[in-house]
This record gives sequence, C-alpha cells and structure tokens, in this order.
Amino acid sequence: MVQTGRLSARRAARTGAGRRYVPRWRVLAVFLLPALLLYSVFIVYPLVTALDYSFFEWRGIRQAGFAGLGNYRDLFGVYPYDQQLWRAFGHNALFFAGTMLIQNTFGLLFALLLHRYGRGKRFLQAAFTTPYLVDPLVVGYLWSLLLNPTFGPVNSLLDAAGLDSWALPWLGDTRTALPIVIVVNAWQWVGFPMLLFSAALAGIPAEYHEAARVDGASARQAFRRVTLPLLTPAIGVVSVLTFIGNFNAFGLVYAMAGSTGSPAGSTDVLGLLFYRVAFVEGGTEAIGRSSALAVLMFVFIFGVSLLAGSYFRRRERRLL
Amino acid sequence: MIKRWIAGAIGVLAVALAACAPGGGEADGDKVTLSLWSWRVEDVKAYEKILATFEKSHPKIHVEFKPFQATEYNTILATGLSGSAGPDVAQLRAYGGLQPLVEAGRLVPLDGRVEALSGFDAKLLEGAKGHKDGKIYGVPFAYQTLQVLYNKKLFGDNGIRPPATWDDMIAAAGRLKAAGITPFAVAAGPDATWTLPIVHEIFGNARYGSARFRDALLSGAKKFTDPDFTASITLLKDLEPYFPKNVVAVKIPDVQALFATGKAAMYPTGSFDLAPVLAANPSLEVGAFQVPPPPGSPVTTPVTPGWADGSFGVNAGSAHQAEALELVRWMATPEFGQLYASELKQLSAVPGVTPSDPLLAEMAKNYAANGAPYTLLVDFRYGQPNGDAVFRDEVQKMLIGQTEPKAVAESLQKGVEQWFKPGD
Repeated sequence: MVQTGRLSARRAARTGAGRRYVPRWRVLAVFLLPALLLYSVFIVYPLVTALDYSFFEWRGIRQAGFAGLGNYRDLFGVYPYDQQLWRAFGHNALFFAGTMLIQNTFGLLFALLLHRYGRGKRFLQAAFTTPYLVDPLVVGYLWSLLLNPTFGPVNSLLDAAGLDSWALPWLGDTRTALPIVIVVNAWQWVGFPMLLFSAALAGIPAEYHEAARVDGASARQAFRRVTLPLLTPAIGVVSVLTFIGNFNAFGLVYAMAGSTGSPAGSTDVLGLLFYRVAFVEGGTEAIGRSSALAVLMFVFIFGVSLLAGSYFRRRERRLL
Repeated sequence: MIKRWIAGAIGVLAVALAACAPGGGEADGDKVTLSLWSWRVEDVKAYEKILATFEKSHPKIHVEFKPFQATEYNTILATGLSGSAGPDVAQLRAYGGLQPLVEAGRLVPLDGRVEALSGFDAKLLEGAKGHKDGKIYGVPFAYQTLQVLYNKKLFGDNGIRPPATWDDMIAAAGRLKAAGITPFAVAAGPDATWTLPIVHEIFGNARYGSARFRDALLSGAKKFTDPDFTASITLLKDLEPYFPKNVVAVKIPDVQALFATGKAAMYPTGSFDLAPVLAANPSLEVGAFQVPPPPGSPVTTPVTPGWADGSFGVNAGSAHQAEALELVRWMATPEFGQLYASELKQLSAVPGVTPSDPLLAEMAKNYAANGAPYTLLVDFRYGQPNGDAVFRDEVQKMLIGQTEPKAVAESLQKGVEQWFKPGD
C-alpha cells in the first residue's frame, strides 16, 4: 500500500500533472476485454494451436500420438523438403535484399524529390500509393498477363519496337523470374516507404539543413551527415516491416509463379512451401509438418524483428 | 447495473447461438431431410434435376444439395464430419485424398451394404477404398480418361490422319510445325505443373509398361529408376520442339486458347477439358486419338490412362444412415449414371452407362478396352512428398535444361521411397 502510494506519487511528479484520474478496474475491463478477447481468439489461440499441432504425429485429421520434434526433423530430413526449405529461405532473403535495394531506395528518392519540389505532391503521393489498394493476388495476375510470352502486350511491344531479342519469357526463365517478382512487388509497395520517409522528412527542422549549408556543407554532405542520420527511426520501421512482409510473402508469388514457385522452383518462398505442404500435396502428415513450418517461420520472423528493433533503437539513442 | 448488463448480453448471445445451432436432418412428419455435400458449386442446377428424380421414387426422403468452394472443400468436409453439423452423404476425393477421412473413422464402409458395387470397374473402385483396410467407402461417380484431342479441320488441311504409329505422329507434328501451327498444346507454366505428369502419362504410359510396370512397382520388383520409366520421361524431352515456344512460361488457359482458336492442332489432355474447349469455341470440330506406343515399348497396343474422380460416401455420424445408404445405393444404379452423364457431360463410373456425346462415348470405349491406371496419381499420393509433386517439379527442370531424364527418375524414386513400402 505504502509502495503503491509512493509509486503513484513518483509518477505524478514525473508527469507533473498532479493527481491523475485512474479508472476503476471494472471500467478498464469493459474497455479492454473486447479487444483482448478478439486478440486471444484470433491471434493467440491459433498460434498456440499451431505449436501444439506441430508436436504431434498426424493421421489425416486425427492426432496419432506425441511426436516430439519429429515434424521438425522431417522438414530438415525428408527429401525434397530438406532442399526446398533452404532454397525457399534463400529466396526470401534475396527477396528482402532486393526489396530493400529497389523498393526502399526508390521510396526514399521519391520522398526526397517530393519534399524538395512540392509541385503536384498530393497527386503524386496518391498515384504512388494507388497500387496498394489492390490485392497482391490481383497485381500478380495482371502482371503475369502483361508478361505472358504468347499473348502479353509487353513482349508484343518489344517485338514491334524491333527489340525481339528482349522479348524474353520473363516469368518462364529461372534467371529472370525472381527479379521480376521483386520488381513487381516493389512497384506495388513503393508508396509505403515513400509515405513514411515523407513524414519523417517533414519532421526534420529546416534549420538543421540551413545550418549545415552555412557551415559550408555541400548538398550531398548535408544529406549524408544531417538528413540520413535523422531518418534512422523511419529507416528502422521500414526495414523491419519490409522484412516481415517479405518473409511472409505469398499472394504475389502465388499469382505469378503458382504454388510450386515456377519455373523449376526458382521463385519458391517459405509461404509457398507452407501452402504446398499444408494444402496441395495432401498426405496424412500434412497438419503436423505444416504446423512445424509455421512455427519455425514465426519464431524466425519474430526473433529477427525483435533484434532489429532493439538495434535501431540503440542507433536512435546515440543520435540524441 | 453492470451485472444486469452482462446477464443481458449473455442472454442475447445464448439465443443467437441457439438460432444458428446445427439442426441436423430434422424430420417434418415422417419425411427425412438428407444433406448432400459437394465441391461442385457449378453443378447445382444439374444436381437439383438429378435429385428430383430420386425424390420421386423415394417420397419420404428430401435431399438438400450443398456445394462448397472446391479449394476449401477438404477442410470443410473434414470439420463437418468430425462434428455434429456434417452432411449425411458427401462427395469424397479419390485415392490419397480419401485416406485422412478413412483413417479418422468418419465414413461408413459400404461393402455388403451397396450390392451394385460388385459390378463396378475394379480400377475405379480402388479410388474409393481405404488404403490400409481395403474396404470400399464410396460409390464412384465419375472417371477421367487421358488422350490426345485434335483439331479435325487442321488435320484435314494438312493432309494428316490420326496417327497409327509413333513415327506417323512425329511426322505429322513436323508437318504442322513447318506450316506454322503449334503441334502440341502443352503448358508447363506456373499453373500447369499438375498437367505435366498427365502429359507424361499420355505419351509415356505404354513406353514404361503400363499396368504391368505398375504392378511391379507396387510389389517392389521394379523402381522408378527402371530404364523403361526413364525412357518414358525422355519422350517429353524429345517432344519439346513440338510444344509451344518457352513452354515453361505457358499457362493452361494459353494452351486452351491456342487449341480452341486453331493455332495448335493437338491437345494432350483429360476428358475433363473437352467441355471448356468447346465452350471457348463451340464450332470447333474435335476428334480424339490414343497415342500409338513409342518404339521399344513393352506394351504394343495404345492405352488410355484413367482414374476415378471421386465417390459418394456416408457419414458415420449421420442420424439418418438408413436413408443415406438408400441414396448412395441409388447412386450406383444406371438411372443415376445416365442422368449424371447427360446432365454434367462427364464419364459416369456406373457400369453400362454410355455418354450421349459421341466423343466422350469413344473415350469411354477406349478406356473400357485399353484402360490403364495413372499410377502417380492412383498409387503415389498416399504420403508426403507425393509422387506427382516431385515428378512435376523435376520435369519442369528438365524442360528448361537443368536436369536429365535419369535424374528425374532418381529424384522421384528418392522422394516416394521415404514413405512408400512395396508389397503393402
């Protein structure tokens, strides 16, 4: 009792707001319970269920006994999953690297241009963000129609322009398929880093930049030494969200490359592997193995996001 | 105050729950309502017509046809059968797709309960059997056959007749290609990987030795690495020049369009594709032929590979099992088979039913005379990884030039032998 009294006194002192109104727990519960209930039923429960399922041996829809880490071992030991798992993981990593390089660099570039030359800002912002009103499945489908080697307009245009050596089977060549998927994904989402960077740029006081210029810094130096460091929080958020999005990639890749990551698995990602193990290939082991994969993906994405988050927070603190 | 509010909320919730609680098949008077689940959303009208005939002769039973999205159906059915709100009779997937339900003990074995099953084609019945106990769990409703469809006009224009030998077929393909026509409408794009094993069956079934090779596989006497099986894969590599350019980027709708618009002359595919092709171009004159056995084949007569599409089974938890059995018994009669064939333009699994469409009738005749199991689908979908999943990926790699027929066969063997035990 004494302790709580002291605590709230300290809190009051820190906020400097004097006595704060703290609602009674019953009132709090009325406000919090609905959200907590929804969160538990739709997020916590499925996660725990997947974890539970992954430790059992399955015969179709019936549990057939405790399997320990058996399902996890299968993912790393049963051909072809042992190969597909690492291949898919590698593609996810490439997907992430490519997206950081293309989507987020262009996002930053567009944000800078819009920040500096305000003309048509509203219109351009809206234009750049329109594609993400469309579902990735639809985007993927549209682009696969555009890039269709037999009936698609992209190759017809290239042919018509005399560039027929450039009329490649874009999505049918193992060398071009994944890069194309990355570019289309960037095309869809480039507006997102642009908006975040725009907001962050608007938050940097103009005086900093002016002071740097007065001190004799070139435009490039001012960007490198003043603007970029101050964008660290935004870069952190964009990186982590890009990471989460790319390692969970599914809809776009599925629409452009089918469930097998066509051609010849060159676009296969973890989401597709999960989809195949869980729904396409059937087999009585499907539930256990797919749950194990889902748990692995969650642990990896969650873990890396936490680490990255704390890394960027440390960087931010050094700025202050 | 709050207590009363909560009590009120609970009351409302309880009423709402009671309102959507499953009714099961409630009887009004002494009429019983059966629910029949299916993955064929597009067949509602046809089934209503078919079931009306049943109700006429069974006035005490009313059947409610309830279709679900095909891609969601397996999950919905598995959930339905494990709860109390399930169907009385359900459309069941065949072969490997059926096993999860059998192993969970959710279905009524039909041996001895549906006498007419003894007259069904033994190959098709396999699709409705429990893999471990060998009991029959459904009345097969349809089957698919594999062959080459061809454009009669293009054949006529180029002086080609349905080939009698493999060499005739290759010569015809060469002539068509020279005339600027794609000889074989084959897709190997992202959505088409499931059709690659089908294309392999159509061209290679006789080459690997058909049903005899399959028996040897199942008993363990032979493996997929057998030279005959490898040779059957090589055929696809040999035929690649006659497929559309960049075949690995070509999708199923593309080849359907190529064939329907007369840009491709031959379409190696299943009987299921006849209706979509004719829907795209009703004036197309289509013929069908069985691929002549390639040189060196252990089987020297043409074969028509095929498989059972699915069956109708009875929920072990149904409150109206007697009536449900009555319905599936009727589904094994020629009356149902004939209605099914004419309403849905499919090959009925009921013995003695002939399709009204002459081309389907020809396919049915070929299957009856030279039918062979499509072994990757029929026998190698009981475990993970399933046979055709490994096979289609490897064949795609081969068409790009990343692997060789021998390595394709080795991967397939390596994949399935992790769960497949010969002689089981």
